Amino acid sequence: MQVRLKTQTIRRAAIFAIGFSIFATNFDSGDVRADGSLDSIKVLQTLTSGDDGTLAASKAIKQLNKANDVTLIQSLTAMKGATPVGRNWLLGLANSLYGKSGKSQTAELTKFLADANQNGEARYLVFQWLTSNNAVLRKELLAKMNQDSSPELRFLAIDEAMKIKLEDKELSMLLDAARHPSQVVSIIEKLKELGVIIDQSKQLGFVHEWRLIGPFDNVGTVNFDKVFPVETDWAKGTVKDEYQGKTEAVKWKQHTTAELEGVVDLAVLYEKEKGCIIYAAAEFESDKDQDAEVRLGCINGNKIWVNAKLVTSNEVYHTGTQIDQYAEPIRLKAGKNQILVKVCQNEQKEQWAQDYKFQLRICDSTGKAILTKGR
Amino acid sequence: MRFNIHKFYKTTLFALGLTAATLSQPHAAHADWPMFRGPNAGSVGIDAKLPIKFGGDEKENIAWRTELPGRSVGGVIVVGDQAITTSSSGMDQRRLHLISVNSKDGSIRWQQEFVARGRPFCHPTSANAAPTPASDGKHVFAFYSSNDIACVDLEGNLVWYRSLSTDFPKAGNDVGMSSSPVVLDGVCVVQIECQGDSFAAGLNAEDGKVLWKLDRPKQANWSSPTIVKMLDGTQVVIMQSSEDLLAVEPKTGKVFWEMKLRCSTIPSSFAAEGKLFVPAGGLTAFDLSSVGASPSKLWDNNKLSANACSPLVVGKSVYTISRTVLACGDLFSGESKWQTRLADAKSIWASPVVAANNLYVFSDDGRCFVVELGDKEGKVVATNELGEAVLGSPAISGNAMYVRGVSSLWKIAEK
Repeated sequence: MQVRLKTQTIRRAAIFAIGFSIFATNFDSGDVRADGSLDSIKVLQTLTSGDDGTLAASKAIKQLNKANDVTLIQSLTAMKGATPVGRNWLLGLANSLYGKSGKSQTAELTKFLADANQNGEARYLVFQWLTSNNAVLRKELLAKMNQDSSPELRFLAIDEAMKIKLEDKELSMLLDAARHPSQVVSIIEKLKELGVIIDQSKQLGFVHEWRLIGPFDNVGTVNFDKVFPVETDWAKGTVKDEYQGKTEAVKWKQHTTAELEGVVDLAVLYEKEKGCIIYAAAEFESDKDQDAEVRLGCINGNKIWVNAKLVTSNEVYHTGTQIDQYAEPIRLKAGKNQILVKVCQNEQKEQWAQDYKFQLRICDSTGKAILTKGR
Repeated sequence: MRFNIHKFYKTTLFALGLTAATLSQPHAAHADWPMFRGPNAGSVGIDAKLPIKFGGDEKENIAWRTELPGRSVGGVIVVGDQAITTSSSGMDQRRLHLISVNSKDGSIRWQQEFVARGRPFCHPTSANAAPTPASDGKHVFAFYSSNDIACVDLEGNLVWYRSLSTDFPKAGNDVGMSSSPVVLDGVCVVQIECQGDSFAAGLNAEDGKVLWKLDRPKQANWSSPTIVKMLDGTQVVIMQSSEDLLAVEPKTGKVFWEMKLRCSTIPSSFAAEGKLFVPAGGLTAFDLSSVGASPSKLWDNNKLSANACSPLVVGKSVYTISRTVLACGDLFSGESKWQTRLADAKSIWASPVVAANNLYVFSDDGRCFVVELGDKEGKVVATNELGEAVLGSPAISGNAMYVRGVSSLWKIAEK
């Protein structure tokens, strides 16, 4: 009898241990959930897009709402490693759970927020819950978040810090922490008021030295996808000095932009030419193999190739532009990397449709500038 | 007995007229205001008793004001005792909020929040939260400029979510999108027209599945789809663009009819009195009595143009706003009756609403002009100051008007 009881106890302990390890893999903390809820969470975590994923996720969220056996902290923890679309489903779940019982979980939520290893979007949500009616706590927390791993929390913290008058040393530290271009520009302006001059274009990582060639024909806005010889020669590394342009032979010309935000104004450089295409090429020397992002602002149709690989293509004209309008991941190799931008202008006559320009920077995934060697 | 063709026509036309009239009943004061411009997109709460004067330093006839996160240029809907609206906040307005406010006391009932997966960029005067949400009485559909769309139940629990920019990566417009969804026959219809992936789609209200997708002209379009009930009882979704006007079956996306027409791309169409009013060539009216075929044109009048606000009908008149000029035309002939300049108004973006023959129009500096609508003139009877920019169309429910300011929600009702 004693042996039998002991066996049962061991079996139960083993089942509990296995169950706990499965759960811990998925949630890091909390108690054991029914398999159905674990599966449903996994569906949401791995969701990409399209009808099939949406249908599976809608069933999963229904199951989770009905089972009601996943805790708020678990729903937040599950966001770590989840896909962007999946994270929004999990945010939806977390918001519902917070509405039901979140206000009694301040201690757990505070601990979650303090854990920089958790997903930044989840931590930002928690920050809002904790501070929405507590301005003192908000200020206190933000004072320690200038370097936070969450870009959103870091953005808020720098915004808060900028509300008071700062010395140049404090501003320089903020500049080092800032990632969003609007904040970088604000800090540089404040430093300027204190007599400290920062090269804004360099700070933001704008490519400022270009070789330009054009105009090529785009009358009727029909040549966005036409492969001009410049493109093929550039990809092969056999670029010529001269090509047949829209009306005559055209040559490369060197252009260095001194604009603070790295703008290359093609309307000025090419005398307001319309119905045309200009190519802009730049060499970017990386000190190592590294992941990076190419970020473009352009109000005209555009394509970018990096090392002969097309990284973005946007056949859109005159519907707004700004720094970092298009951001694409790239892989820089150690040594020289070749960037080619195709900028297409249409023939709209409206006064607001005359801009022909672009600005391009290279940075890491957080927005911190990566500079070409020697700059 | 001899068949009298004239009598037949008269009888038939009378019957059709009656039917048409019943298909465009103004909004009863107590009912929900479930989407942009209310039920039938009429913008009229005919029985509502709203105060003429409100706001100002005395906060006259302000039942409550609730501050909300971030900003919005969209409108508000009312479902039961919930006033529901959206906001966008944070870095690049990537945080998307959906908020239910208790219409009785202004307290927050529930909130949902997502992160924009499409590009959130827009003109500084706009917001990612630009479209007005919609409800079928069971769900709420929140749509944003970044093409994120979420469906929740009336307790705020997530039913489904889609990033249409993930599914269709070139959908979007960096000036900002603003087309509001409509929901009909269990289908949520969105119109996403831009130079990239340009389309309209019907999404299953229950699970978010794309039931149909129509390619649309590759031009920016901010107008909203409109539900129209045809004379045979069929309900269709009308969509307009700079190139066409068409009627779509909501469940299947089948195009009942389409015509080439250069429509405005900001104000939206609506139907009343058996007619379809389209902001095109000023304002163009079509006869909806022919079933299945393209409607025939009744009249157009380029003096009834609308640059941003959608037109509306009250009684036997149609009203449009161009910049700061309110114009009135005859519903049946299209002839201009009168026009008046709202002299102190700045930009007007919010489509106006009407209660008890008074038109309430907000300029973007937060002033509301109350215009008494007459057959001979429109008389400004009050100018009210809210002190907050208003770019979204108000909602009317009961004897109250709900106004979405850029950063808060207001309930205006006689105290």
